[in-house]
Amino acid sequence: MIQQLLGFLSYYIPEVICVVLMTTLLVAEASVKDEFGARKKIYIYALSVLGLTLIPLGYNLGREPVTIFHNAVTIDPFSTFIKVIMVLGTMGSIYLSYQSKEIYRNLKSEFAIMAVGVLIGGMLLASANNLLTVYLGLETLSILSYVMSSFKRDESTSTEAGLKYALYGGLSAGIALFGMSHIYGALGTIQFVDILPKLQALQGMSLYLVMASFVLFFVGLGYKISLFPFHMWTPDVYQGSPTPVTSFFAIVPKMAGLAAIVRVSYVFFGTEGALSVSWMGLILVISAMTMTVGNVTAIGQSSVKRLLAFSSIGHVGMMILGVVVMNEVGVRAILFYGMAYLFMTLIAFYITSIVSDHYGTDTHDVFKGLVYKNPLMAILMAAVLFSLAGMPPFSGFVAKFNIFSVIIEKKLYGIALVAAINSVIGLYYYLKLAKTMIFGEKESDEKIEGFTCANQTVIVALFVPVLFLGIFWDRLMALSTDATIFIK
Amino acid sequence: MNGILNWILWLPILGVLGVLATPSAKEGVIRVVTLVTTFITLVLSVVLYLHFDNAATGMQFVVKVPWIEQFHINYHLGIDGITMLMTFLNALLFFICTLSSWTVDKNVKAYFSLLLMLQSTVFGVFFALDFFLFYVYWEVMLLPMFFLIGIWGGENREYAAIKFFLYTFFGSIFMLVGIIALYYATGKGPDSFNILALQGGQFTQLTVDLFGQTVSFEHLFFWFMFLGFAIKVPVFPFHTWLPHAHVQAPTAVSVILAGVLLKMGTYGFLRIAFPIFPMAAVQSSTIIAVLGLISVIYGAFCAMAQDDVKKLVAYSSVSHMGFVMLGLAAMTVQGMNGAVLQMFNHGTSTAMMFLLIGILYERSHHRWIVKPDGSKGYGGLYTKLPKYTTVFIIGMFASLGLPGLSGFISEALIFLGIYQRFTTITVIAVVGLLIGAAYLLWMFKRMFFGEVNPETEEYDDMNAREIFYMIPLCLCVIVFGIFPSPLLNVMKVSVGQLVDLLAKF
Repeated sequence: MIQQLLGFLSYYIPEVICVVLMTTLLVAEASVKDEFGARKKIYIYALSVLGLTLIPLGYNLGREPVTIFHNAVTIDPFSTFIKVIMVLGTMGSIYLSYQSKEIYRNLKSEFAIMAVGVLIGGMLLASANNLLTVYLGLETLSILSYVMSSFKRDESTSTEAGLKYALYGGLSAGIALFGMSHIYGALGTIQFVDILPKLQALQGMSLYLVMASFVLFFVGLGYKISLFPFHMWTPDVYQGSPTPVTSFFAIVPKMAGLAAIVRVSYVFFGTEGALSVSWMGLILVISAMTMTVGNVTAIGQSSVKRLLAFSSIGHVGMMILGVVVMNEVGVRAILFYGMAYLFMTLIAFYITSIVSDHYGTDTHDVFKGLVYKNPLMAILMAAVLFSLAGMPPFSGFVAKFNIFSVIIEKKLYGIALVAAINSVIGLYYYLKLAKTMIFGEKESDEKIEGFTCANQTVIVALFVPVLFLGIFWDRLMALSTDATIFIK
Repeated sequence: MNGILNWILWLPILGVLGVLATPSAKEGVIRVVTLVTTFITLVLSVVLYLHFDNAATGMQFVVKVPWIEQFHINYHLGIDGITMLMTFLNALLFFICTLSSWTVDKNVKAYFSLLLMLQSTVFGVFFALDFFLFYVYWEVMLLPMFFLIGIWGGENREYAAIKFFLYTFFGSIFMLVGIIALYYATGKGPDSFNILALQGGQFTQLTVDLFGQTVSFEHLFFWFMFLGFAIKVPVFPFHTWLPHAHVQAPTAVSVILAGVLLKMGTYGFLRIAFPIFPMAAVQSSTIIAVLGLISVIYGAFCAMAQDDVKKLVAYSSVSHMGFVMLGLAAMTVQGMNGAVLQMFNHGTSTAMMFLLIGILYERSHHRWIVKPDGSKGYGGLYTKLPKYTTVFIIGMFASLGLPGLSGFISEALIFLGIYQRFTTITVIAVVGLLIGAAYLLWMFKRMFFGEVNPETEEYDDMNAREIFYMIPLCLCVIVFGIFPSPLLNVMKVSVGQLVDLLAKF
């Protein structure tokens, strides 16, 4: 028994490390006096421990998939890959939180605690192998997120964001739980492995009932990754939250929710049949709508954070197309997209955060003439915007190429055209921002204080994968191909 | 000699590194670095021409290195006769543009590094034999152009830059869908992205299901590719980005845009759309010819209506590229040869026109033939600027197709070719030539003859640098007008192969 547990734990080291980290951070935060030096040590500690989790994660990436804790959790290369993205995203956001003025000094280590907590929830969600674990992961992830979004306690926008997030989140979690209970009621099990055969045996009315409950379940997950029509909260929450929190939200909860949707779709609807077709149709329509709504709404935004929020909706709509095709190639495309998206999003939010910290607002206007204030950063930001739009030679292009190629392989030309039109719309608003930064006459060359040497180095380091994965992407492709193994 | 394409392709990038390594205050050094880079590139392209085997079929100087093995994407370069001409044109025009950009003084470092980057990507488009690589270069080319127009352009440059970018991107995203569809249609094999292996009409039997309708694979994706290339050419009705981009772009960028970038569109037809989808191409040739004809006539009429001389030449490009489309649509030996020759000749003659307008603009800071308030912008330039007028006459007559100058031969070949297939269209297209002569001569009369405009009194004639960089273009226009065989011989085999292929369908 003990030996079995230890065997399980050997797969579960990353999560264990994170839990230990969170606890020690809590103790450390409570015991330090309010001085910045001590908090700096805490943050370095948090970053290095998170970096440490990458080692067991990397090890798990090459291991055979297993289910542990009586089928509650599955550790497979797929979930491990997602966890790597999430850990990197958390690290990036924690680093940003220490640079940002929006996270008050005395709250800096609290940010790290919350972020690690959300990360634990996200890891659980990515590995969830029964309905209960899904719910557990979803709630751990959500409840801490609500707190994070209202981190700027004395600003009404931030508290509003927290409240909106909590209300919408509570509702959608309730709907998801309602759906799950119906699934359990109709099929008598919460284990993913047992659900599939029972699902296939269903006929007639009860099939419709179960399908309806799956749709309700899907609402909960779709809300988390802000799919249309559950995306309404996203812009307000993204704009109201402090920028490091926004960058965190744009990566960690999204990847976790995406992983859960991928797993649910493949486990239950991966086999050919009527069920699969209707699920596929649902996701197809939702993804087309999500992309279009996200991109079209982004055009009119004057707040850059809000623009990035809508663009992230568009990107999720694109990623979710990898689910539609229901095969390994689709998963591979999603994983690659996730990794590319991680670096692009981090850079975009880093620069937005630093610029908006300097001017106290994040409208387009503060980006005007950025190229004269800091040429390197303006160029990198423009490159990232081009990458987000899917321009070669950046990684965003390869990500888009992969998604296009999986849908075209299935001969879904209609949706390919929708995605094509969407990437043109996307390009338009990215170009507008790039234009604001780079074109136009020199007005002032005041230095933006946030672009310290260290920050610029980090941003350049984050840019390396954006460019590298756009040119030499075969290694990551091979890696994500290997990571498509997961347990059905 | 095998690696020479690599050298030509990457030398400008080396130049970019050299420019970036120079401190931005040393503007003279930056200019010289750029000039030396483009000059070596030009020399290499001449070396390439000397080693080029005119009689050989297929690609020469091939470089093929695996790039993304999972997708069978290769770094695959090679040239044939058509590309050879384009390579030379590209190398020549960039060398000249560097000289003509000598007076650029805003952000010199960024300007010249973007210019060199642009040159490299344009070479990439012409050399690429791997479809993925081709697409990457095709798209990357937009980035330097976007900044060149957007930063160094005229008053309305932001609008023009975004419009140019969005238009091309819109076309090319359809091309991307087509590229991926071809990849799966060939069964993801080792040659799925190999442009040469895709050629030959293997997809005639396939069908696709689009929104519930069964359509021919070949026709659908031919039109996808058509959209991508036609926007670049530009063919009516996709030409609306061109006047804006041209008018706003700085002189050198206009020259490159008209001289080489537009040719990438017609090159796309020659290398990709026609040989990969020959059946669809042959069946759609009437539509292409009609669109080409509309471009010829409509572009010419638009040019006639312009008061801005740069816009006039921009519209004349639409008209002249329409002739190329007519030659392509003819699908006969003469027509195709004429089209490729016209690509080269239009490259040199229109480059002359844009350079000359740029030279005049540096003196007058406006480009109005007739100013918006109704007064004359120029007038009597002929008496004040004799050297300028001489060069202008050569450029203009080459542009309108005067016998003895380069434009005549290519247009005559195009008409010979197209007459065999579309008689009516030929007859109407000839009218386009007439309108072309009319608007050019009318412009010339209004600018150079008549009373001397007092505003133009102070203008200096062309200086030594300006004369120096106009000489090679004048030579091209005159020599190839009398003696076009060096160009025709190079492309004969390549064009012949394409015509033979199309004749089977």
